[in-house]
Amino acid sequence: MTATISKVDAAAQLDVAGRLRANRRRRATRSVTVTAGLAVLVFALFVLTMMVGSFRIGALEVVSSVLHLSDNAGVDFVVRELRLPTALAALAVGLALGASGTIFQQLLRNPLASPDFVGITSGAGLAAVVGIVVLQAGGLVISGLALGGAIASALVMYVLAWRDGISGYRFILIGIGVAAFLDGLTGFVLTRAQLFEARQAMHWLTGSVGQASDTELRLLIGGLIVLLPLAVLLQRPLRALELGDDSARTLGTRTELSRAALLGTALVLVALAVSVAGPIVFVALVAGPIANRLLGAATGGIVPAALVGAALLLAADLVAVHVLPTPLPTGVVTGAVGAPYLLWLLATTNRQGAGG
Amino acid sequence: MRRAAALGPGLVALCAVLAVVAFLSVTLGSRDIGLSEVLHALRSWDDDGSISGTVTLELRVPRTLLGILVGAALGVAGVILQGVTRNPLADAGIMGINSGAAAFVVVAITVLGLRGVGVYVWFAFAGAIVALILVYAIASFGREGATPVKLALAGAAVTAGLASVTSGIVMTNVDALNELRFWQVGSLAGRYAPILTGVAPFLLLGLAASLGFGRALNGLALGEDVARGLGQHIGRTRVAAFAVVAVLAGAATAACGPIVFVGLVVPHLARFICGPDYRWILPYSMLLAPIVLLLADLLGRVAARPDEVQVGVVLGVVCAPAFVAIVRYARLSEV
Amino acid sequence: MRAWRQILAVAVLSAALAGCGSGTDGGGDNAAASAGPWTFTGGSGEVVKADKTPTRIIAHAGEAAALMSFGIKPVGIYADESVKTDPNLKNLDLSGIEILGEEWGKIDVEKAAALRPDLIVGDWWPAEKAHSGMEEGVDEKSKKLAELAPITGVSQGKSIVELAEGYESLAKSLGAKVDSPEIAANKKRFEDAVTAFKAAVAAKPGLSVAAMSPADDKVYVANPAYAPELLDLQSWGLDVLNPASPDPGFPYWENLSWENADKYQPDLILWDGRSYTPTANADWGRKQPTWFKIKAAKAGAAVAWPAFWLHTYGDFATEMGKLTDAVKAADPNVSS
Repeated sequence: MTATISKVDAAAQLDVAGRLRANRRRRATRSVTVTAGLAVLVFALFVLTMMVGSFRIGALEVVSSVLHLSDNAGVDFVVRELRLPTALAALAVGLALGASGTIFQQLLRNPLASPDFVGITSGAGLAAVVGIVVLQAGGLVISGLALGGAIASALVMYVLAWRDGISGYRFILIGIGVAAFLDGLTGFVLTRAQLFEARQAMHWLTGSVGQASDTELRLLIGGLIVLLPLAVLLQRPLRALELGDDSARTLGTRTELSRAALLGTALVLVALAVSVAGPIVFVALVAGPIANRLLGAATGGIVPAALVGAALLLAADLVAVHVLPTPLPTGVVTGAVGAPYLLWLLATTNRQGAGG
Repeated sequence: MRRAAALGPGLVALCAVLAVVAFLSVTLGSRDIGLSEVLHALRSWDDDGSISGTVTLELRVPRTLLGILVGAALGVAGVILQGVTRNPLADAGIMGINSGAAAFVVVAITVLGLRGVGVYVWFAFAGAIVALILVYAIASFGREGATPVKLALAGAAVTAGLASVTSGIVMTNVDALNELRFWQVGSLAGRYAPILTGVAPFLLLGLAASLGFGRALNGLALGEDVARGLGQHIGRTRVAAFAVVAVLAGAATAACGPIVFVGLVVPHLARFICGPDYRWILPYSMLLAPIVLLLADLLGRVAARPDEVQVGVVLGVVCAPAFVAIVRYARLSEV
Repeated sequence: MRAWRQILAVAVLSAALAGCGSGTDGGGDNAAASAGPWTFTGGSGEVVKADKTPTRIIAHAGEAAALMSFGIKPVGIYADESVKTDPNLKNLDLSGIEILGEEWGKIDVEKAAALRPDLIVGDWWPAEKAHSGMEEGVDEKSKKLAELAPITGVSQGKSIVELAEGYESLAKSLGAKVDSPEIAANKKRFEDAVTAFKAAVAAKPGLSVAAMSPADDKVYVANPAYAPELLDLQSWGLDVLNPASPDPGFPYWENLSWENADKYQPDLILWDGRSYTPTANADWGRKQPTWFKIKAAKAGAAVAWPAFWLHTYGDFATEMGKLTDAVKAADPNVSS
């Protein structure tokens, strides 16, 4: 009897193990397929962005010009000097925002959490506007100030929200309050400005990938090269943290350290993105949920979310510059499109109050 | 915490304080007018053509009255919002009201080519109400209805969306940019009798209606389940509350632009004085808020002669420490 | 390094194309200036050089109007607002000129590159240390306009007359016949207008004037030290008020709250032309109880002041004519 039972047990266990392994393989395959598909989409959009403009340039010409394979002075100027920087900026900012957004959402365990809402972009905005109006600085200094402002306001919020740890709901509430406060201060600084400074400041505040200079862009790309792989490495602790602090600890994760590292990575990513292109809303918010819908069970991938962010921003830039009758800053398009999407998401999400 | 017995006389004392502050608001300002001239103008209630008479009766008196009504409206709206959403950091601004008002004002400036605060009032009012309805409607989709989280996030989403559209329009039009950046800071200057008479009916109506919410808010503060157990209709209370807030905050923002912090900070001050009973918090806020607003306005008028600093700016600077204190110490974990 | 390669490539291309096409730019007009190297010292002090006189010019709105008034037609114009409403451009015939942008901060550099320009003309703004269209806050792409060709322009500063004279000398260096009758007629009209203005002012000693702008929440009094048109008017004898305490952070104006609107009592009000309408004065009198406490406002003594857009002798002459009429009709005893 015992022998038969243990054989049945063993068979059953083998069956379960096999099914688990098959599951994991399926998830991995799905993850890889989705990521590859997104990468192709992003590449196509990237090339498309450089093909359109006051006059069309063929895809092959664009690619060969970028790779320095051809030497046609007219086309090279247009593609390399005018279109490539914007396309690269859209790509880099989109990657950074997508990755950062999904990390925030998973850390705070709320699909509606986003760096947009929690005062980070408002802090960057206030620092930048103060730089433009009070210090009358420009270019790189403004970006540096925005970076500093984003990080400073995030730290302030972390300190304010921390009470024996961070609860997602509390963080969000405080973030919204702080954001409103910083926006009020920004408005005040705007009234003390000369008109040309106010114009420059409002231009910056609206958020556009067109405003990035070469140096800023290089900084952002450098940051991405360092931080994206780091984020991928931190993916496992992230999944562990989602199970709850105690479970994570028993699985061997160092919770506080991982959380700090993840928050830090996400924060620097979004701060860099905002300092390069100004506050572009909603990309960080929706990239994660869209990626999750594509990934199905393999939910929570950071690289797919980053790619979705890049695709969204490239598409928004295309629409903002070429499809609309008058060219608008990218931030306006993402706002106009993202807000209804978010509201729909709010209306249909069933898990509410999670993390409260 | 005072005992309930002391709160009644306290209210009367506050009325007196408000009267004193209002009087100061009429006698002091960016122009130096002697007390006797002011009293003469007030007694005769006739603009005898002198600059002192005009300034006192046509500039300062309407401004003071508007400050009282708008201050009370914002304070009470803040109390109701904080009570209904159980978010101690709630105020009209985060519910999309300010950005809705701004968006409609910008459309008036750019598409219709209109100028002047007298005109903006009605657009701002409409925009504020539309935004608030939108926020509430979106937040109430789904199983649990308009929970605090969903309200906060819907408010943030609508605010951000409308702000993007507003900036997009403003970027293409330098005049609109210039008009908007001054309107957006919130000011009692330049608003005279026409605006006062325009919004006063709404404000008075809203204030009267708000006093009836004390018991309902007390119930909600105990938690939704307890409130339902006590026989309250949560849904109906929420809708009524938002309607009152729409009228109060909408009219106030329409008249004076978005004035921050009054609705956020004063309810906490009132709670600190009278304890957790909303039946006292409401009237106390109704008196404290105008006192705060008028004092801030007075400071702005007196400190920068012959120019003035807008009341929104003064409030921002003065209330910042209060805001930080609230965030740090308010009982957010209760919700 | 990269920039020079582009410019060289563009120059080579344009030289090749110029060689291919027949020489239609011959003839009497530019003969004197087309041979040999060209040089000009712009308002920033920077000296701009070219191997031959530039003929394909891209200019900012007012600067284009200035060049066109001397007979130099640019190939491309970029403006800060629609060319139909821009006060410098709205009365000009812009056919054959490519419009490269109608919004501040956005220039279509791709179209500009296709025009093969050899000179960019924009005012030099000392406060922002930039030429028009290249200031802080414009799109990065717009700044790339400066890589297509050398950029120069006259400095905005203390006098519109100096600005116009600066563009006259730029036009002359570009080969314009500034002495030809049609072109010189504009300058003559301007000089006549100034003479008439000076005479009108001298005939009304004691006439005091202030440049004011009412707004919803305060009154702005312009500070002539920052308004070149007003400085010119002062230099011709007009008593334009200097406000006592301009806003330290924003010295273009002094701000007065409406309670203090009557601080200054001029005989005639100069109204910012960008917001002036025939009924503006009456409208503000209705809206603001203390506006008519300014005696000149109550008497209706207000005239438009061409604020911040003038670039050409012709436009200035027109505006001076209106101001002269207003001075002649003004009552120097309004404020007493």
